[in-house]
Amino acid sequence: MKLNNYIPIILVTAALALVPLVFSSNALANFMAMALIITLAAQGWNILGGVAGQTSFGHAFFFGIGCYTAAMLQFHFGINAWVAFILALVAGAGAGFILGFLSFRAGLRGSYFALITLAFAELMRILANASEWTGGAAGLLLKLKPGLANMQFESRASFLWLALAFVFVGLVISRAIAGSRFGAQLVAVRENEDAARALGVDVLAVKLKAISLSGAMTAAAGVLYVQNFLYIDANIGFGVWISIEALLAPLVGGRGLVLGPLIGTVTLHGLGELTKSFAGRTPGIDLMVFAVVLIGVVAFASGGVLGLLRRFAPGLARRIAA
Amino acid sequence: MKLVETHLNRRTVLKGGAAALATLSAPAVLRAAEPAPIKVGILQPVTGALAQDGEYGRLGAELAIEDINKAGGIKSLGGAKLQMVFGDARSTPEAGTQEVERMQEEGVVAIVGGFASPICLAASQAASRYDLPYLVDVGVSDQITGRGLKNTFRFAPGFSICTAAAIQNLVRINEAAGKPAKTVALVHEDGLFGTGLAKLMATELPKYGFEILEQIAVPTPSRDLSNVTLRLRSLNPDLIIPSTYYGETVLLARTMQQQRVRPKAVYSVLNGAASNRRFVAEFPEAAEGVMDCNHWYDPRNERSKAVQARVEAVGKPYNYNIPLNYSSVALLADALERAGAADRGKVIEALNTSTFKDHLMPYGETKFVNGQNMGAAPVSTQVQKGQIKVVYPTDFSDAKPIFPANR
Repeated sequence: MKLNNYIPIILVTAALALVPLVFSSNALANFMAMALIITLAAQGWNILGGVAGQTSFGHAFFFGIGCYTAAMLQFHFGINAWVAFILALVAGAGAGFILGFLSFRAGLRGSYFALITLAFAELMRILANASEWTGGAAGLLLKLKPGLANMQFESRASFLWLALAFVFVGLVISRAIAGSRFGAQLVAVRENEDAARALGVDVLAVKLKAISLSGAMTAAAGVLYVQNFLYIDANIGFGVWISIEALLAPLVGGRGLVLGPLIGTVTLHGLGELTKSFAGRTPGIDLMVFAVVLIGVVAFASGGVLGLLRRFAPGLARRIAA
Repeated sequence: MKLVETHLNRRTVLKGGAAALATLSAPAVLRAAEPAPIKVGILQPVTGALAQDGEYGRLGAELAIEDINKAGGIKSLGGAKLQMVFGDARSTPEAGTQEVERMQEEGVVAIVGGFASPICLAASQAASRYDLPYLVDVGVSDQITGRGLKNTFRFAPGFSICTAAAIQNLVRINEAAGKPAKTVALVHEDGLFGTGLAKLMATELPKYGFEILEQIAVPTPSRDLSNVTLRLRSLNPDLIIPSTYYGETVLLARTMQQQRVRPKAVYSVLNGAASNRRFVAEFPEAAEGVMDCNHWYDPRNERSKAVQARVEAVGKPYNYNIPLNYSSVALLADALERAGAADRGKVIEALNTSTFKDHLMPYGETKFVNGQNMGAAPVSTQVQKGQIKVVYPTDFSDAKPIFPANR
């Protein structure tokens, strides 16, 4: 473990942490906090879908489990938010293990695995929408009690720093994996599963580790969402939107790369906010501009933003992607 | 037709900011001529799944601001004009929250709108950080005003008020007609909204002598309701109470029409379709006679008629979002008038003591208790000859209920 490898991560995190000190805008802080929550969910996706090559179309499954575990433990049992957060991580990892065990043991790959994840997320959405325990269609509303002990903050900047701390941990974990034997095994599984098995990689165990870690990370994003908005319903927790967000960000930023999810989310959501100024009287024009840019990225820069950098500024790209 | 130029883009905001700075730094004598406009945040989902409702809401708010400014603005503030700061909630609570933050930075004095309950919940909570008054236009969830947020007000009735009124209205309509309806079948969507409503009906209605034959749950979305309709046909209830969303209600009404299932009445509560002009326009035969207990404007109110004429002149249907938003903005203007200052604390105080009556809704005097307007009530409507008519309570009705609808 060389400290050198972590310098880009530390620099990026420090730069982001300074933003609320330089600009006092709460709108900016709130926007960044939401972008960081998505980043965290996308980092979870990236470990499984990017590094290990197991494309999931249902990371809402983990996001929602994180949301609901944190919300239900606080709502029904009055458990402290931080304890609920730890338990939500465990639940996310456990859900990942179960989903992975069921699908990987059966040998599901590629689009079949993607479909199974989607089905699980939809199943949970319907259950959460019908059960009284989850508040059904009316959702669960947590009490507004600002304070560090409750994982709620008066100022938007404090919440941003919390989210950033989570993303930082996510970046460090991703970077540690990238340089480790486990990471090499994941890449081997992605590139050619049969070859990896022939070389003595325990494919099932490696995939299960990846999906558990991935589940826990995305569940952490769900907890942050709940702590920020204090409200959760089935469409927020298990809706398709978060599956797409979690998948899109690494694709745009650079699939399988450590900083890919962060760069992807900042690019996508930054563009989304910027294009809002085109909105004028016609609703949706901003979303159309956004869509055109997105199509451009997918069509002309399949390696994502980092891929573009590699082509046009290889030195810089090497330094960030490390 | 362009109603009011209200949407701000970044440049105009910058220009506005520069202009405001220039005005502030100008000597007091120069400023006295035209009081600074009062910024009012209008939050509506104009893109995404709820875009249509958001557009109606925005139109209502725009018309109200236009009228208030034409009538001389806020007189106690020297005739200050209202200026709309519009935010697109994009049909999600996150986007709604983000727009609240932006409006806060643009210095709005209050926010009106939200439409859907999740957006209202998140946005009003974000506004509460700044003690920024938030007027919910539609969102019916009881949680919205049940949280003890001091900044949040709802002019329209919430879920419990609506359901209680729905049952009362039904009982009275039935009694007035000589109690033709005795047996009831409940068709409800299987989420909390439908299930909760069905449960409530199943416990309350027997107290008034109704017999519940069956409760049928349908999933949202449903593509085919033939089996449900066949079941209804064999049960042959006097009354069918659907608590489903737009698509399922339309499907149920059409399937019932095809299979010639003709109960004495279809009576729905807070239904997405039964008092929607689109349903009536697209499937007039299936919609005929269907009753609903929902938000609706006061059909006898002259101002409401005038607003309706303007809305229809631009080719839009006069759905309930329009008068609700119009009235909410007018309520805010009244509070500003009495507060005598564009000060958030004073506006909240003025809203709390509001007795506002000059709205378009079939409500009495406005009286807020814990943020809920206790004067608000839904009305029972019925589709009669392709028109949505208010049939109960009689103080506001423009038609008599046709009950039973099928003999």
